[in-house]
Amino acid sequence: MKKFAALLYVLLTVTLMFWGYYQAIYVAPNDAMQGEIFRIIFYHVPSFAVAFVFFATSFAGSIAFLAFRRNFPDRAQIADALALAGAEVGVVFCTVGLTTGPLWGRRAWGIWWTWDARLTTTLVLWLIYVSYLLLRRFAAGPQMQTLAAVLGIFGALDVPIVYMANRWWRTQHPAPVFGGAPGSGMDPSMVGPFLWNLLAWFAWGVMILAIRFRLERKQQRIAEKEAQAALTA
Amino acid sequence: MDQAAILDHQFRVAAYVATWVIQLGYLAWLGLKWRSLKRAEKP
Repeated sequence: MKKFAALLYVLLTVTLMFWGYYQAIYVAPNDAMQGEIFRIIFYHVPSFAVAFVFFATSFAGSIAFLAFRRNFPDRAQIADALALAGAEVGVVFCTVGLTTGPLWGRRAWGIWWTWDARLTTTLVLWLIYVSYLLLRRFAAGPQMQTLAAVLGIFGALDVPIVYMANRWWRTQHPAPVFGGAPGSGMDPSMVGPFLWNLLAWFAWGVMILAIRFRLERKQQRIAEKEAQAALTA
Repeated sequence: MDQAAILDHQFRVAAYVATWVIQLGYLAWLGLKWRSLKRAEKP
């Protein structure tokens, strides 16, 4: 039953991805000012939205790990696996956003990159979580998970700064499309395709997050078995 | 199609391709990791 539900979810996600692509390419009209290059928004913005949700997941997992690590070691391991999965999948989506953004910028602004507040804080966010993953990969010893949890919490503090950057400061990056100043927003003909792509990328993200979480739990069980075998040997 | 529209098209395609290369590349890496852990699980 569990396998069937998982298969159904994968099928639904793949269908959503195709539907999202169809909406982005064939349903949404070209932007009057930007032409076709505008369609990058259907991959760029959802990628960052999903990345932020997963960095928040990592944040929650890190806090739960620190709360449970002394009295509930099993729960702490689950929280740690969630924190790692959230950070890693968040980095993947953030990488997509940082790749598609300059491709749009080159055509819209004539430059690949500029050190404005939105772009710089986003790069810092990416670097913090890459450091988190490097710490988890190369640090050893019983303190590694605790250190990673602390870094995960600090990293997540950058998320609201990234989100607010183009509200607090004047940036080269466009002003917020949603929830921005009066008059901001998207043409109704583009909202549908945007929301479909947001849903599709979120479904995709949850799918790979679930795979990464299960992998980490498996790895934890193997490590635990090895540690027990070493003790009894 | 004028030159600007052709460039817009190429950049849009590049962005979509880059997205899928990153996402599917990561999924493939997860698959390889899964396989190696499955092997490690066997006694």
